[in-house]
Amino acid sequence: MKTKKITKERLKTELVWYSFIILSLVTLLVLTYLPMLTSVKYSFYDVSVLGYGETFSGFKNYSLILQNPAFHRSVGNTVVLALMSLLSIPMGFVLASLINGLGKGKTQSFFRVGYYLPNIVTGVSVILVFQVVLKSNEGLLNNVLSTFTTQPVSIGWLSDSNFAKFGATIISVWGNLGYAMLINLANLQSIPSEIYEAAEVDGATPIKAWIHITIPQMVPCFSFLLITNIIGGLARFTDLFILGGNTSAGRPGGTLQTILMFIYQFSFETPQYGIASAGAMILFAITLAITMVNLKLTGFFKKDER
Amino acid sequence: MKMKKVRKGITIFFLVILLAVILIPLYWAVVLSFDRAATTTLPPFSLTPKEFSLFNYEYAFKTIPLVRLYINTIIVTVTNTFISVFTAMMCGYAFAKGKFALKKVWFLFMLAVMMIPFESRMVPLFIQYRNWGLLDTWAPLIFGSFAYVYGTFFAKQNIETIPDSLRESAFLDGAGEWTIFLRIIIPLSKPLIATLSILQVLSNWNNYLWPLVTIKSTEKQLISVGVAMFNAQQDNIYYGPRMAVAVISAIPLTIMFLILQKNIVQSIAVSGIKQ
Repeated sequence: MKTKKITKERLKTELVWYSFIILSLVTLLVLTYLPMLTSVKYSFYDVSVLGYGETFSGFKNYSLILQNPAFHRSVGNTVVLALMSLLSIPMGFVLASLINGLGKGKTQSFFRVGYYLPNIVTGVSVILVFQVVLKSNEGLLNNVLSTFTTQPVSIGWLSDSNFAKFGATIISVWGNLGYAMLINLANLQSIPSEIYEAAEVDGATPIKAWIHITIPQMVPCFSFLLITNIIGGLARFTDLFILGGNTSAGRPGGTLQTILMFIYQFSFETPQYGIASAGAMILFAITLAITMVNLKLTGFFKKDER
Repeated sequence: MKMKKVRKGITIFFLVILLAVILIPLYWAVVLSFDRAATTTLPPFSLTPKEFSLFNYEYAFKTIPLVRLYINTIIVTVTNTFISVFTAMMCGYAFAKGKFALKKVWFLFMLAVMMIPFESRMVPLFIQYRNWGLLDTWAPLIFGSFAYVYGTFFAKQNIETIPDSLRESAFLDGAGEWTIFLRIIIPLSKPLIATLSILQVLSNWNNYLWPLVTIKSTEKQLISVGVAMFNAQQDNIYYGPRMAVAVISAIPLTIMFLILQKNIVQSIAVSGIKQ
């Protein structure tokens, strides 16, 4: 009789705790795990016409996609664009060092907020603005360059396939600089000041202290920004999609088509779900590998065991 | 000492110049949006509009249902933020203080999701919603917020620091876990809730790919997609109206940022530094 009562009590507390988490668990099961498994399945099936039967086709989708020159190009574009965008990290670090050097106060928070502003505005509207700023004729950037070089400049930053990657990088660095600055600044301010005091006693100049103390202390911060930037870069889509006039063609001339735009094209423009799913799996594998390396480097697994 | 002051002066000078360079595109967009001359030709850079007029805004409001798009975006953003932060708090509380079977398993079940990028499951998810007949409704935009994994992780870490003694004394007074959660945990977690809400509002407002894919009717669409569509329709000219639309869609977040700047900057910094 007594044991029965205890189990009943026990069951009740279990149910109470489960009532806190069940909603999220079901959501993840239905909206994340299930579609993910379907994605894996589709990547091995011929599903050109959905609903009219899917036939198992082994690795056909993978071999098709891996032989597709457009896919190679989109992978290449994505990697090059992701690497070029990393410029925001060193720039953000230098900026954060300068702002940090001002010492805490109103001036510092003014710059912190001011430089962060572009990151808030980032989104569709910024793309519209930069379409005008980076225009070949009468664009702001070309006008400035003309003034400095005293000869007319009309580079098609977003319309010439030789320059489009630079234009796209200007947009991404402009949008990410504030974030990189903010994270760098927060990490700079968490370096214990005793280290600097000791260095000053030893007669180190500020520049020397910056090179020998600050930079080594900031390595975890740099690797965090590096990984998040690369993962974000792999999934780059919105800005380049809008630049191409709301198509996934990656205009000009396919130079701005990323992996995700390739997947979008085979999902919604010329639907071939098998191909799209194989592409999604490849993107997932790359992202997963980078995430794992990151978690290993930051000691995430160790922390969890504790 | 004097040397130090000079150096500080030079730094501030440099930082002001660079900040001006970075913000000039935004400033110019605002100028163009008020310039009647900026329609089919792009006027050269100037600090004030050549022919000041509200024409571009009138044109923009006439061409696309901006008010509708605005209201839609606000409804979806507020709903999602509320749902996702509240469920993240619930899960965070359970994982921080609860004792129940398979707790570790479920926690890993949630964390593992962080490694599945949304894009790699987008197509089947789209088909799923199509089979349920829920395309072109807000369901696909909202249902996902019932699981906010990053928020759960963040909430768990924060709720763990709340001392158990508070819970125990409430427990002795006969309070259940839900009462404790609503009356003690939530009020004590205001900064945490603010941080998560800010992060959610930012990510929701700029959401683009998913609404683009799932919503077809313009009157149900969100501002980000509506603006991009308008942009594509204008065939790369009509500079003034395009800038007017850009300004209109950027205003809410900019105002929110200027009011809550301290909190927002803090939230972003904390979310990055914890990693």
